[in-house]
Amino acid sequence: MSPLLEIKKLGKRFPARHGREPSPWVLQDLSFSVAEGEFLTIVGPSGAGKSTLLNIIAQTDTASAGEILLGGASVTTRDPRALKPGIERRIGYVTQDDNLLPWRSTIDNVLFALEVQGKLDDASRARAEKLIQAVGLAGFETYYPHELSGGMRKRTALIRTLVYDPPIILMDEPFAAVDAQTRTQLQADLLRLWEMGRKTIVFVTHDITEAIALGDRALVLSKQPSRIAAEHTIPIPRPRNVKDIFALPGFAATYEKIRADVQ
Amino acid sequence: MTDVPATMADVASPPTASRKWLIHGGRAALALALIAGWEYGARTLGPLFFAPPIETAQRLWALAVNGQMLSDIMATLRVAVAGFAIAGIFGVILPFLLRRSPRATEAVEPAVLFTMGIPKYALAPWLILWFGIGDMPKLVVVTLVVFYIVFITTFAGIRGVDRRLISMARVIGASERRIAREIIWTSLLPFFFTGLKIAFPRAVSATIVGEFLVSTQGVGRYIEGARQVSDTTGVFAGVVIALALVLAINAVLNGIERWALRWQPVEREMEL
Repeated sequence: MSPLLEIKKLGKRFPARHGREPSPWVLQDLSFSVAEGEFLTIVGPSGAGKSTLLNIIAQTDTASAGEILLGGASVTTRDPRALKPGIERRIGYVTQDDNLLPWRSTIDNVLFALEVQGKLDDASRARAEKLIQAVGLAGFETYYPHELSGGMRKRTALIRTLVYDPPIILMDEPFAAVDAQTRTQLQADLLRLWEMGRKTIVFVTHDITEAIALGDRALVLSKQPSRIAAEHTIPIPRPRNVKDIFALPGFAATYEKIRADVQ
Repeated sequence: MTDVPATMADVASPPTASRKWLIHGGRAALALALIAGWEYGARTLGPLFFAPPIETAQRLWALAVNGQMLSDIMATLRVAVAGFAIAGIFGVILPFLLRRSPRATEAVEPAVLFTMGIPKYALAPWLILWFGIGDMPKLVVVTLVVFYIVFITTFAGIRGVDRRLISMARVIGASERRIAREIIWTSLLPFFFTGLKIAFPRAVSATIVGEFLVSTQGVGRYIEGARQVSDTTGVFAGVVIALALVLAINAVLNGIERWALRWQPVEREMEL
């Protein structure tokens, strides 16, 4: 089976500012592929270009070298004006910041995606309602983002992407800014939702535990210029209980192996 | 549920009745002090320099009864509101058009900044030459005065829009029209209302100054007429009418703003 998403020899350097040397390569010769229905995690130290990588895949930024294939077809462009963010709604992107619209309530933020895509009907509304229930936001539908806690905002941002069902979802450390307990809960929520639909997910994190708890496979990014330094298949069977992930057989050994590769 | 939103507990306590009375009491005391100072000025300097409050009130009453107040207000408002509306529309549309093209912005910006420096009131005599002594010269002056304020605040608002929200909307598949209409427009509303609230009193002032120069009716015409015959009470009455006009319109604008920005965190109790 050909991979759903394929990254080939990707490179990125930012354009030089006037009177300065061009920036060094942030990404170089970076290649990997993701199969349909796979949960891929990518671990890398801070500043390894993780967000840059996802921005390029989501086409909110251009690549300087290399190619990206989506469903076997090239979607690469070097021209910033030819970018197609989210390439025809096939790639969802859950960013580090929740980016909720402050003037929309929880339910209206979730429905925003459906509204702009012209897919708002009784069936999609029911789906949104079901997702809101599933992540424990029932009762908070009419609250504005500033009235929600950080964890609730993350959940809202997450289901805003899930509700329109893009085949691939990119996640950029979505749970980095919440406390450890909330994070574990959010991870459990995410896994539960994923078991329901088995989307293809590329999840970027600096947290090795998170990479193991969530992924089928974990890639390790090197320091800049980033490339794939190592690849690990996570041997822990699903469904996993993320709250006790440390105690599961295989966790400790995998953790040690990945830690050795993360510089 | 452990995720109780922080704002529920901390912020939602409404101001107590006693604190509200304190505010109202303070306002009333300040108003009384101002009127007392006014009366004191009238007694020490004489009615030619300082029209007494009572006489001014009587004059206002007389103007209200004989209908002149209403017709003057309508004449002034007609020009002020029309100019305000025209300038408001262009002041908003132009930044939206320029937003799409950094090069056009760079080309237009110096012209805008340069022409902003023109003293608009000084154009009035020249405009009278062009348009005669009707509403037109005043309308042009008012429009110019308001346009720059709305243009600059709207432009600042557009520059301040959170790029990440736009990027999110593009990934989700929102059209550029949708992004302009919902994200950019809603984000800049606070700026827009600030612009309107600064601009409206100026629109009224500009109209009144225009009426000093050329007019047959209006609040400015009344003030100027009173001045020419050394009727200080008339001048004061006219100024009070202008103030009341600005206050009334500001209250309307505040109401609209509160409604349009009802999603914002309530910060009215914020202490600076």
